[in-house]
Order: sequence, then C-alpha cells, then structure tokens
Amino acid sequence: MTPTKEPSGPLTTLRELPQNVWNSIFRNPLPSTDLERSSTSFTNFFLHIHPVKVNKNTLRPAYTMGLGLMATFLFVILVVTGVLLMFYYVPSTTQAYDRMLDLRGTVAFGIFLRNMHRWSAHGMVAIVFLHMCRVFFTGAYKRPREFNWALGVMLLLVTLFLSFTGYLLPWDQLAFWAITVGTSIAGYAPLVGQQMKFVLLGDTTVGQEALLRFYVLHVAVLPAVLVLLMAIHFWRIRKDGGLSRPEKVPAPAPDAGVVKLKKIYGLQGFVRGPFTKIGNTPDDSVYSWPNLLMAELFVFVLTISAILVVSLLFNAPLEQPVNVMHPPNPAKAPWYFLGLQEMVSYSAFWGGIGIPGLMVAVLLLVPYIDRSAHGVGKWFAKERLLANTIFLTLVIVNVIFIVIGTFFRGPNWSLVWPF
Amino acid sequence: MRLALAVASLVVLVVHGVVFRNQFFHEWERHQTAYIEQARSLAKSERERADLDARSPRIEQVIVTSFGDTHVDRCTTCHLAADDPRFVNHAEPLKTHPYSTAMGDVQRNGQWERRHKFADFGCTVCHEGEGRGLDTFYAHGQDEFWPGPLTGFVTQANWRKDFSPHLKGREYMEANCAQCHTEEGFAGTPHVNRGRKLFYAMNCYGCHKIDGMSEGTLGPDLTEAGKKFKVDYLWESIVEPRANLDTSYMPNFHIPQEDVEALVIFLKSRRGVNFAETSLDRYKAHVANVAVVIPPGTAGEKAGEQLLGDRACTACHKLGDKDGGIAPDLSYEGLVRDESWLTDHFGNPRARVPDSIMPAFRFPADDFQKLTAYLETLKTPPPSTWDAQTTFTNLCARCHGEKGDGNGKVAWYIDPSPRDFTKQGFMASKPRARFVASIQDGVGGTSMPPWSRRGAISRRPTRWRAVRNPSPVASRSSSCAAPVATGARRTARGRIRSIFSRIRAISGTTGSWKACRTSGCSNRLNMASRERPCRPGST
Repeated sequence: MTPTKEPSGPLTTLRELPQNVWNSIFRNPLPSTDLERSSTSFTNFFLHIHPVKVNKNTLRPAYTMGLGLMATFLFVILVVTGVLLMFYYVPSTTQAYDRMLDLRGTVAFGIFLRNMHRWSAHGMVAIVFLHMCRVFFTGAYKRPREFNWALGVMLLLVTLFLSFTGYLLPWDQLAFWAITVGTSIAGYAPLVGQQMKFVLLGDTTVGQEALLRFYVLHVAVLPAVLVLLMAIHFWRIRKDGGLSRPEKVPAPAPDAGVVKLKKIYGLQGFVRGPFTKIGNTPDDSVYSWPNLLMAELFVFVLTISAILVVSLLFNAPLEQPVNVMHPPNPAKAPWYFLGLQEMVSYSAFWGGIGIPGLMVAVLLLVPYIDRSAHGVGKWFAKERLLANTIFLTLVIVNVIFIVIGTFFRGPNWSLVWPF
Repeated sequence: MRLALAVASLVVLVVHGVVFRNQFFHEWERHQTAYIEQARSLAKSERERADLDARSPRIEQVIVTSFGDTHVDRCTTCHLAADDPRFVNHAEPLKTHPYSTAMGDVQRNGQWERRHKFADFGCTVCHEGEGRGLDTFYAHGQDEFWPGPLTGFVTQANWRKDFSPHLKGREYMEANCAQCHTEEGFAGTPHVNRGRKLFYAMNCYGCHKIDGMSEGTLGPDLTEAGKKFKVDYLWESIVEPRANLDTSYMPNFHIPQEDVEALVIFLKSRRGVNFAETSLDRYKAHVANVAVVIPPGTAGEKAGEQLLGDRACTACHKLGDKDGGIAPDLSYEGLVRDESWLTDHFGNPRARVPDSIMPAFRFPADDFQKLTAYLETLKTPPPSTWDAQTTFTNLCARCHGEKGDGNGKVAWYIDPSPRDFTKQGFMASKPRARFVASIQDGVGGTSMPPWSRRGAISRRPTRWRAVRNPSPVASRSSSCAAPVATGARRTARGRIRSIFSRIRAISGTTGSWKACRTSGCSNRLNMASRERPCRPGST
C-alpha cells in the first residue's frame, strides 16, 4: 500500500480499485505480528466487541462450555430464519395454518426454514437455562458481575416469552391449546391476573386478537428488547473485566475507583477491575485474534451443524387446524412451561404464580444475597457447597416437574407410564 | 479442536447438500417429466410436440372458491394426466380420471365431457386430502393430524387396525357428494340415504340432534359430526360407544356391518352448512326444526312385540333375556303400569318421570298403540315360589344393587338415584309404613314402579301389622317362617313384608352396615347365606 503522490491514470485506478476497496473496508492485512493482531481487533467494527487480549481461562471449553455463545448464535439463526419466514407468514386465523401447509409443501426450503426456526427456539431456551446454571455453579455472578447476572435472568425470561409467543403462530391445535393453557396460568396471578391475560389476548379467549398480539410481540417487540438486553449483557462482560476466572493466588490489591494519576494512559484508566488497566496486564492472556475467534467459530459451526442435522431429521410439528370446540386431552403448555403446569395441577396460585414468582425474585437477588467473594471461577467450588447444593436442588426439582409434565401425564392430567 | 472443527464443517456441508437435493429434485418433477415424455410420443402434430418440448416442470394448481372455504388444489402437479383421455390405461399418478355417466359425464362426438369440471371443482371438494401438499404423504392426508385423508382411499396409520379395512371404498365419497346433493333419496348417494333412514329407524334421533332433522339432547349434537370427526372415530363410536368415554350411556346396538358403514357415511356427510345451502337456509331449518315423524312403513305394520325389537328398545331396557343395561326391566310392565301411564310416557317420558333420560321418540301413533298393547300383555307375575332374596335380586337389585346400596346396574342412569338402604340415617328417619307404601304403590315422579297396584306382588295389608319390630332377627324369623309354615301361596303374600325386612336388614338396625363390614361379619347381612337353611322348606 504505497501512497500515491499524484493522481494516477484511469488504468491504474481501475487496476487498484479492488485493492483500494478492500483496504478501505479492512484497515489491516491478515495479522502476523502482535501489533497487527491488536490492531485488527481494535479497528474492525465486528471484532472490536472483543478485547484485544483474552485470559486463557476464558478459552477453556470445560469452563464455559461455550453456552453463552451458543445462545447468541442460536439467536442469530432465529433472526435469519425468522425474517425469511416472515415473508410467507400472515398472522390471520383464516390464513396462518394454510401458510404453514404452503411452507411445508410448496415453498422452496420452507419446511427446512421452519424446522430450523423451531428447533433453534427450543434449543435457545434450553441453552440459556444451561448457561445460567454454568454461571451459578462457577460462582460467576459475584461482584462485580451482580448486575450482569440480573440482566441474564431477564434475558432468560425474555427468551421464554419469545418462544412462547412464537408457539401460537402456526395456529394448529398444539399451538392453540398450549397458549390457552399458558395464558390461563398467567390468569391465576392475584389482582392483575385476569387483566394481564386480557391485555395479552385482547379478548377473553385465544383468537384473532391474540394471534396478532403474539405476532407483533414475537417479531418486533421482544426481539428488540432481547437485542438491547444482549448488548448491555455483552458490554458489561467487557466492563466487568471479562469472564470470571479463579483469583490468582497473589491477587493484586483491588484498587477500584482509586485513580493513580501517574499510571493513567487515556480513558481506559477509569475502567474498573483488575484486567484492562494498563500496567496490570496479567501474563496468562492471549491475543483474541486468532484464539478467541477460532473458539467462537468452533462453537458457531458446532451449533449450526447440530441445528441443521436436527432440522433434517425431524420435522417441526404441525397438528390439526384449530378446533375451538375440541380440546386435546390433555392440553399441554410448551415443554418449558410444563413444570409450571404440573405445579398448577397441585395449586393454581402457588404453582402458577407464587413459586415461579418467588424463584425469579430469588434468582434476581442471588448476587445480592450471596456476598462472599470466594469460589469464583471454579466449577462446584468447595467454598460454595451450600449455594450450589440449593441451586442444584432447585434445578433438579424443576427438571423433574418438566419431565413428569411432559412424559408422565395423560388424559385428565392423570399419571401414565410413557412407554 | 481443528479436527472437530473440520468434522462439524463437513456435517454442515453434507446437510446443505441433502437439503438442496431435496429442494431441487422433487418427486413431482419426475412425474411431470415422465408425462411430458409420454405425451410427446402420443402427440399427433408437430405443433403439439413443440408445445410439450417448451414445457418445463412447474407447480400446477386450481383455486376453487365456489365450495365453502377456498380450496387450493395442487394435485394436478403430479396427476397431470387426470384430464388427458389418452392416459386411461396408464398407472397412477399419470392416469386419466375415470369418466362416468352416473356422475353426469357425457360423450359427444367420441369426446368425453365432464359434468364436474376440474377447473370448477378442483379435486379436494370431492376427494378431500391436503390440496396444498406436493408430497404424497401429506397431499393424500396420510399424516395423522390431517383431518381429511383421501376419502375411501387413505386410512391413517394411527387408526385402529380392526377398523381400517372397513374404511376404504369409494362409497365413502358419497359423504362428499352429499355436500351439494342434499336432496333425500338422491340416486348417487345410496349409502347416505340408507344411513339417514337408519338414523331414524335405529332411534339415533331420539338422543342425537342434527339441525333440521332431530332435536335429541341426550347424546352429542351430530350436526357437524362429519366436520369434527374422521371416519375411524365415527365407526368406533357406533360399534364401541364407550371406547372414548367410559361414562357414555349410548347402548351398543350390535348392528350389522353394512348398516354401520351406511351410518358412518351418513354422519360423515353432516358438516353443518353444506355447499348447497345458504346460511339462511340453515337458520330456517334450525328455527323450524319440524317435528319429524318416522315415515310409516319403516316398521309400522308390525306387531308390538316385533316393533319392540325393531325399535331397539332392548338396547336400553331389559325384556326376557335381552338387556341393554341402561333402563328399567320391562318384563312385568303390564303389572306395574297401566295403559294411560304408558301412553303418556311414550308421548313424553318426562311427563311421568321428570328427570327420565328416555328420549321422546316420534314413532307414528299407531306404533305407540301397538307397543302399549303389547306391553300390557306382560302380565305374568314373578313365580310365587320366589323367596324374599330371589325377589329382591330379580326385581329390586337392577336399580338398588345386590347389596341394596343404591348402586345397581342401571342406577347411574336413573335420576333421582335409587335409594341406598345401607344408609342407616335414612332408614331410621322413615316409618315402616312409608317403605311398604313405596313398594306397593311406587314413588311418583321416579322410576320406582307400584309393585302391588296391579298385582305384581300381592298386597296383604293385614300381614304388615304383624311385623312390629323388623330387626334383622325379626326379619330372619319372619322370612324363614313364612315358607315353612304356609307353602308357596303364602310366600307370595308375605313377600313384600319379607322384602321390607330384607331392606331393614341391610340398613342394619342392630349395628351399622359399615361397622359390620369392617368387622368381617358381612355374612350376617348376606341374604343368600343367611336364608339357606330356610330354602329346603320353601321349595
């Protein structure tokens, strides 16, 4: 790239055009030195979300299992397939089901798009939940990451709600009755329950208004909320000093907030935490390019190949067209709400609102209750035996409820043997 | 990690390959290519050949808006030769749709002309199936969730294996013909017509409502049965009424298979608003819902006894060895009910028993007269040799239960429920005379008949005074004493007293039924074992 001193001839301009365009987009050549690696991460819009250097612990697959990345990539897949599906879908009770048939039978790649969207949605709910478990069991929610944990809980809720609103859209028996059951659970909330249900459905029963509302929530409102929350979530990972990791044995004294004038080089000095501060760079870090990028690519390819294989093998369910007079027995909510439905079968208020509400409240408050700073960055740390045991118990209880609701409940919600 | 990355990438690549192959090499394209090739070899002119050469596979569709909801039929994408008379002897899917004079097709100058043109009717109006599908499995409605598989041609995999073979055959398509050809007796739909007749002849109308045809309220409304249910469900509901609902009280009529089929086809044709009717027509029929009288002649000229069989009375009632297990025993009807009661009850059962579930059947008046006359002949009293236990078992247990706990075979269908004699509180609250009166004169407004009014069980008021204290001990002595002392005739006279004693014994005046049952002394209350010593004397 030699700067031209004088206007060159048209031929030269033409010859250099591709190179110039390329260079104007990518400011750096493929990096071969550490300086170039830093520069690449720093100057690329898409890469500057990464730190220039990243702790080796962050890249350990056994530590994060790539769950957060997986959730992100599933969301990307969902956005892409979802936008494509939007070209064919009409949120109308008379047309929605026919559009599903067209997607299944006639539209090029229609059935595959729908499969990918469906399975990614289920996958995302599961992965986000597992990601939360990972963060808890490694104690990663502790100071200074308390608020990011709270954001994560909110992201889980938005993910559930996104999946739930999407569940109605095919407008088949499965969708209709699952949403009928799901919104009835919401109706058990004291004082505002019925009003909440009415606002959600736009009617007293699931119908055209509900379909339109769920559609708008599903394709516009909730994704926007999710993207915003995700952006804050990611931004805070950086600002909170990267992913959590075990404390170094001779931990440098945390001097957060104390500005040592002599050591400041620019604004970065105001960023708190032990990592990004100049002069305090840990030794066990590596350059994001190519280490972090390769890890991300790996998780991405893994995620998409899993989704592709599942989508090839299993078709997204499409049951009978809606028949308001003929509920299936039992009518079941989507699987991630079957734990709730199972609890509702014991007590409408406590199962549907009381216990889930308490659980969400406790989840949100976890980092503010558990103030001990020990056991961060290690799976099932000894110091966190009590917290981990409580959380694991809750997780197992929830999973058991979901399994019972999914497999062991037959007509009239009676216990059945699934095999 | 690089190896894993490579493997995963390969998977992505392979899946893409498979997906693209599926998307670009459709089954229907092969059929179309085959059709174009064969049509080309059959073509007579150069022009025709050139036209065929210019054709490339594409999705064909007919959009039909004249019949109910919009039908989008892409069937001709594969069945391309449906309207091409040259393909009569080819194999499906490239086969000409048959021409039929019965369907109204006519031959003009050697050319067939269809009455039901595909351009107007599409395919699914007559055949059902999923018109939008392009894949055999979905298009033919083999998918278990699709409500309308190709009528008469496709049975879904989850249908009952013992029914599936009965559910194939082109006669099932009559149900679709009847969507437009609604006139009764239309020659093209013999099965629908027969089913309609059976709907009346088998008394289905008594319990089931079909708008414009009947107004029964006991069973489910069948106005839209053909829209809601698939043929396997309809078949199952007729031959095994309790297969889907344990508490259903629809009797099993044990009707022959051809009749079941006709009924299924008839019911399949009931879809609420038919294509041929406007919603105004439907509303008029709903408002008028004229009292339907069974056309005379279906069973009219027969004698009462035969009518009783033909009208399927024993599908619910008991008479002789036939027992529907739902309604009361008619064996002694001539002895417990008089003519005016029967006439009133036939006209409207609720006039006599306000909560009866028996439908008001609309037989011709003549039929009712014959039935009444026949029932009035059933005057043979129960054998006088019966002791109290046998009488209770034969006359009372059907409603009140073997144990007298009000839980007899038909108790579930009787409203108000038969009395539970094991309830001590109830038994103690009523004077004995009240029980005696109930047995002798019946209980108005309930199914309890007056056993003594016309002599089914003889009434001897004087005998009643003798029983002062009908404790189990007293009852034992009295029920034993009668046969031994006076023989058969006096047994009959004393029967009511014995029955009443039996009832009192059940309530257990000397100890509660429950306490006795739990302490294992139930044998004491078991009439059979208790009275065994008396039996030899009575016979």
